[in-house]
Amino acid sequence: MMIETNKDKLLKLAVMGEIVPSGSSGYRPTWNGVPKMSLGMGGIKYNLRVGDLCYGWASGDHVEPGVTIRGKEKPSPSQCALALLACIGNEARLTSGEAKNEKGVFTGRHAGSDDLVWFPEETIEKLAIGDKVQVKAHGVGLKIKGFEDVRVNKCSPRLLENMGIEVDGDQLVVPIVAEIPGFLMGSGIGSSQNVEPGDYDIQTTDPATNEKYGLKKLRLGDIVLLQDQLCMNGRGYYKGAMTIGTIIHGWSDSAGHGPGVNPLLSTIGGRIRTVIDPRANTARYLGLRDDL
Amino acid sequence: MVKTNKDNLLEIALQGEITHTAIPSTYTTTWDNRSQMSLGRGGIVYNVKVGDPCYGWELGDNVEPGVSADGTDNDRAKGGFRNLSNVGNRVKVLSGEAKGSWGTVIGKVGYLPDRSHHVVMHFKQEVIDDLTVGDKVQIRAKGAGHKFLDYPGVAVVSCSPELVEAWGIEEKGGKLHVPVTKVVPMDYVGQGAGGSPPQASNWDIQTQSPDAVEFCRDLRFGDIVLLEDTLSYYGRGYYHGAVTVGVVITGPSNHMGHGIGVSTLLSCKEGQIVPKVDPDVNLKRMLELED
Repeated sequence: MMIETNKDKLLKLAVMGEIVPSGSSGYRPTWNGVPKMSLGMGGIKYNLRVGDLCYGWASGDHVEPGVTIRGKEKPSPSQCALALLACIGNEARLTSGEAKNEKGVFTGRHAGSDDLVWFPEETIEKLAIGDKVQVKAHGVGLKIKGFEDVRVNKCSPRLLENMGIEVDGDQLVVPIVAEIPGFLMGSGIGSSQNVEPGDYDIQTTDPATNEKYGLKKLRLGDIVLLQDQLCMNGRGYYKGAMTIGTIIHGWSDSAGHGPGVNPLLSTIGGRIRTVIDPRANTARYLGLRDDL
Repeated sequence: MVKTNKDNLLEIALQGEITHTAIPSTYTTTWDNRSQMSLGRGGIVYNVKVGDPCYGWELGDNVEPGVSADGTDNDRAKGGFRNLSNVGNRVKVLSGEAKGSWGTVIGKVGYLPDRSHHVVMHFKQEVIDDLTVGDKVQIRAKGAGHKFLDYPGVAVVSCSPELVEAWGIEEKGGKLHVPVTKVVPMDYVGQGAGGSPPQASNWDIQTQSPDAVEFCRDLRFGDIVLLEDTLSYYGRGYYHGAVTVGVVITGPSNHMGHGIGVSTLLSCKEGQIVPKVDPDVNLKRMLELED
């Protein structure tokens, strides 16, 4: 049985962002004290898309696929409507520049600053830093009928309906790429009482653990299960809780950091069961690429 | 006694001011979807001191024992105060009614509103009664660069020579047997991962899941805990088999991912730290701090 939602009751409204310059912060120590000049956050990434690998980009750290935009109407991007209300799968549209009126898709939010948008390759070629992007925010308040106790977060109706979720008795059956033990969750735990504006990181700074859990195989957009993690009001440990999330940024060599996860579904009461599907990825669910 | 480089450590002055208590401007949302007005995060807390229980304070959320101060002025001055102060350093009151009184640094706290930090200090009650928010304090900081000479794999973080001498660490078979109050499983360790440097700010033991609350129930401010599978060398993060030893410096929290704050003292990923568990271990006794 497929899920039913309250999507007809959700307000759809405009939120605004602007393409920001690429980030650069000079050399910083990695987890084991090696100075590293990192890149891949902010700006326009011509050759990194949702669906690509998290690991392996030269000097890459927290690499963000596609185009990075930020809300500008408040002092901090995290306080802006874009950060709080845009949901993965929402339509984005350029409202200035050479690609004006061309469309893309909102693909996730990186805590602190960056909202991520996919655009077709021919559109990306025309983009300039500073171009304005408006997103039709639609998804805050989304609930699954009969599963109102399951927290839905950052998830457009379009994404939720395309994730291949089935109802089996009193459980939702959700396809995932991998199970991540909760103790690997690091940076982002406790950082906010709101789930909406942030991600948190699967820590990739223990080489043996990376191999043990196959973390180098994870892709941007992969749907994963976080065991013993509760993301209803904030993010953190709760024995027996389950959180389903999607990976929105890549690998890191900084202590406590790694691929970032936007929580999509969270339950405290055993209402979710998972099945492994190596193709469970937002890029496929949202029709952004056909090679996954 | 473990051999150290204490005679090669610079001793410097760090100046800060006693902070206001740090509360958000409105109700906050607890992990279980309630609204809460929290209190007890720093400033001057008259009736909670190192050695007291972490639990049991009404509306207390990340309560800090005693008095907290932060660096003032520019980022350089703030950074020095936060990064170079050490647990066990002596601190002198420079202004106000308690001018000339001395106290002791007992831990450090980060993740506060407006990116501020707290260096938490113990003073005798008669001194606390005379202190005012904004009073200037000066730490005689000695401890940055501290090393255990025969254990290069052990990071010594924000430890004064006085603390190391009072701790009772024993050397046996090439390992350091470190007195701790409790050993904390990695599952419970939350906020703090991803933060850098370990000299500033803190780890949190998460206090929302019922099993974690039960585990933490008897902890006291000043207890020394060992956090399993955590590494605090150039930042804080997960590393299987590594350990971080720190001092309990805040009370529990109802906010997801937060909890009992632990200020880092030692870390090692090479198995040279062995916990010697003794429920009576507490900073108050180690440093002979008087109420």
